[in-house]
Amino acid sequence: MTANGERMTESEVLEHRKERAEAVDYKMVTFSLAGKDYGVDIMNVKEIAKAGKFTFVPNAATFLRGVYNLRGEIIPVIDLRVFFHLPAEKKEEDALENTLILRIGEQVLGVIVDNIDKVVGITSSSIQPPHPIFGDINIKYIRGVVENQGRLYIILDAIRIFSPKEEEKHTITESPAVSFAAPEVITQAVSSPERQSAASSDLGFIKETLSAFRKFSATEFNDEWVSARFEEWKAQKKGKDLQLKDAEDADAYLAGFFSPFSGAFWSDEYANAVFAILPDLPSKNINVWNPGCGKGHETYSFACILRNRYPEAHLKIWANDADLLSISTAPNMVFDLEDVPEFCREYMVKGRNGYGFNQTIRDSVVFEYHDVLNANPYPELDIILARDLISFLTPGDQSRVFADFSDKLKRQGVLFLGRNEKPPLSDEWKPIGNELVSAYARAE
Amino acid sequence: MRVEYINPFVEAAFNVLKEVLNSDVKRGELYLKSTTMPVLGVAALVGLAGDVEGRVLFDMSKATALAVASTMNGEDITTMDELAKATITELANMITAQAVTKLHDLGFKFDLTPPALFTGDNMEVSDHEVEALIVPMEIPQGKVEINVAIRERA
Amino acid sequence: MKTKEDFPSINAREPDGKKPDGSSYRILVVDDSMFVAKQIGQILTSEGYDIIGTAADGEQGVEKYKELHPNVDLVTMDITMPRMDGITALEHIMTFDKEAKVIMISALGKQDLVKKSLLLGAKNYIVKPLDRKKVLERIHQVLSK
Repeated sequence: MTANGERMTESEVLEHRKERAEAVDYKMVTFSLAGKDYGVDIMNVKEIAKAGKFTFVPNAATFLRGVYNLRGEIIPVIDLRVFFHLPAEKKEEDALENTLILRIGEQVLGVIVDNIDKVVGITSSSIQPPHPIFGDINIKYIRGVVENQGRLYIILDAIRIFSPKEEEKHTITESPAVSFAAPEVITQAVSSPERQSAASSDLGFIKETLSAFRKFSATEFNDEWVSARFEEWKAQKKGKDLQLKDAEDADAYLAGFFSPFSGAFWSDEYANAVFAILPDLPSKNINVWNPGCGKGHETYSFACILRNRYPEAHLKIWANDADLLSISTAPNMVFDLEDVPEFCREYMVKGRNGYGFNQTIRDSVVFEYHDVLNANPYPELDIILARDLISFLTPGDQSRVFADFSDKLKRQGVLFLGRNEKPPLSDEWKPIGNELVSAYARAE
Repeated sequence: MRVEYINPFVEAAFNVLKEVLNSDVKRGELYLKSTTMPVLGVAALVGLAGDVEGRVLFDMSKATALAVASTMNGEDITTMDELAKATITELANMITAQAVTKLHDLGFKFDLTPPALFTGDNMEVSDHEVEALIVPMEIPQGKVEINVAIRERA
Repeated sequence: MKTKEDFPSINAREPDGKKPDGSSYRILVVDDSMFVAKQIGQILTSEGYDIIGTAADGEQGVEKYKELHPNVDLVTMDITMPRMDGITALEHIMTFDKEAKVIMISALGKQDLVKKSLLLGAKNYIVKPLDRKKVLERIHQVLSK
């Protein structure tokens, strides 16, 4: 459909396709307010949430819904519909609102909208200047309007809306009281420096989406894979429509990332590969830490392998996960014998509901509900098994947790990471794994 | 915290509160917290010993503590006097003891120490970096947070 | 109009706490919690029992028992107490008076504690939270033997 609403001719379709093939250099998260479509620069969007239970702040502006506890950080939450004097559906007290978590400079805040749609990539040159007729809201808050796939999006200038001077002006017409600490006024610097080439900005956008939708942080721990995957992705998509629009797309991109046999027993072949990599360990007591163990399949697999590799040693494996549901089932798992790989079978015993692991294995594993970001009481460790854990932490947390790994691992210890993860500084670590198994020891 | 320890505490909290307050008790979602400072105003502490070391902390606002003490004593209690304090510590004691009993049946040998009560005025909690499991309980008298920090004895 | 009080109650019976001769059974309550002592006291007094003493730890409990003996019909004994726990106090009392009637009242219900207490001579074991009916039944049971 053209802007006039007429059906397109073939040449117009080709023309349209050509337009779209032009570099996407602006990505926005789209949402709706009072029936109209809006967008905000994805660089300003930290994450998307469904939130409820805002703590009311008395004597604040009417558009300030309250404050919200975002995993320990207290952020103000604005109801954008109230802010723009738009009609808003009154929800029940505890009902969850569709919330965009924005980061503007140092300030993090939540913004309530009617519905959050998807991520749309456009060329910034196609953004038209705002015309009063397009908006129900004050034109000064609109960066521009753009059309995409038959829909008209009003792009909000988030920085202008939430900068201190604007807020005061806005509040004065509302109520006398001042609300919360306003964000700093940010200039052009907020735009990603990666706007140079279309390709690098494409990858940059993809990384942003992976972070927002799947909490995957592309950093030195996995950049080799992320970049290689990007080339694959481009080829797959034949250079078009590269952007990840929603969670499904993010999952499709990440499909090849995960380590073999995630959430399942390891195959005999994989187990043999791991067995071959495990070095001789001098200690009589072997201490193992397995954070992010999920339901415990990898823990049990690893325990059997260790039993075989170090028959004389006393094994202690601390396996934890911050997902209560998964970790709760781990200690008492039962299976059908045919679902258990060969190398584990000698450690199984028949119980009432199926086969479970024998006392020797069970005594060597302690499953704990534990968040790897919190302090842990573990002694020095011989082995750390952390597959696909680091990549799903924020960059700051990644460094912190990895530093903890480095601290706690003995001089001659072994570190297992996800298949597509690697440690940052290569002089400290040397790879001792292979294609299937990502393992590292300290370089001499 | 070891998975097997969780249910006994959750169940004990639920059972004892329900029985002692004779009312509906709702459990909130469990979560993990990094520091162990109580936040609401009145904290009853029961020490744990045996196979593990640690403590269970019962955290509630003063208003909730007074309301709970009133219900448990069948009379109106308006200040945190000796009786009110004894009532709240006994509540903490009963919940912890029931959890310890259940854990004993599961093969984990815990012991508990006599409880202590801290109120806002004499709150002195050392900020030792320990992870705690939080079990939030909603009762008619308000919110009670049960904060369990346990460490295996080496 | 006749009120309820004008009619004799159908289930008229003597309160449990009263002995056949009309006097009350004498109870010693040992518990470090003021709340529990008050609670047990209220339950028992309402049924005609006489609380002749309370003690806040095992040591005090043993002392009081020796002082008041032979005028103590029954002792209720908590387990988790400072200075001397209830099991040790039980042991001392049983050594002093092998006819002593002691009922353990504790928040802990561990099997090994129950067994140990009964083996040492306790007549019964009640787990807190206290249920009025259960407390009265058990105490009555022990005193009727």
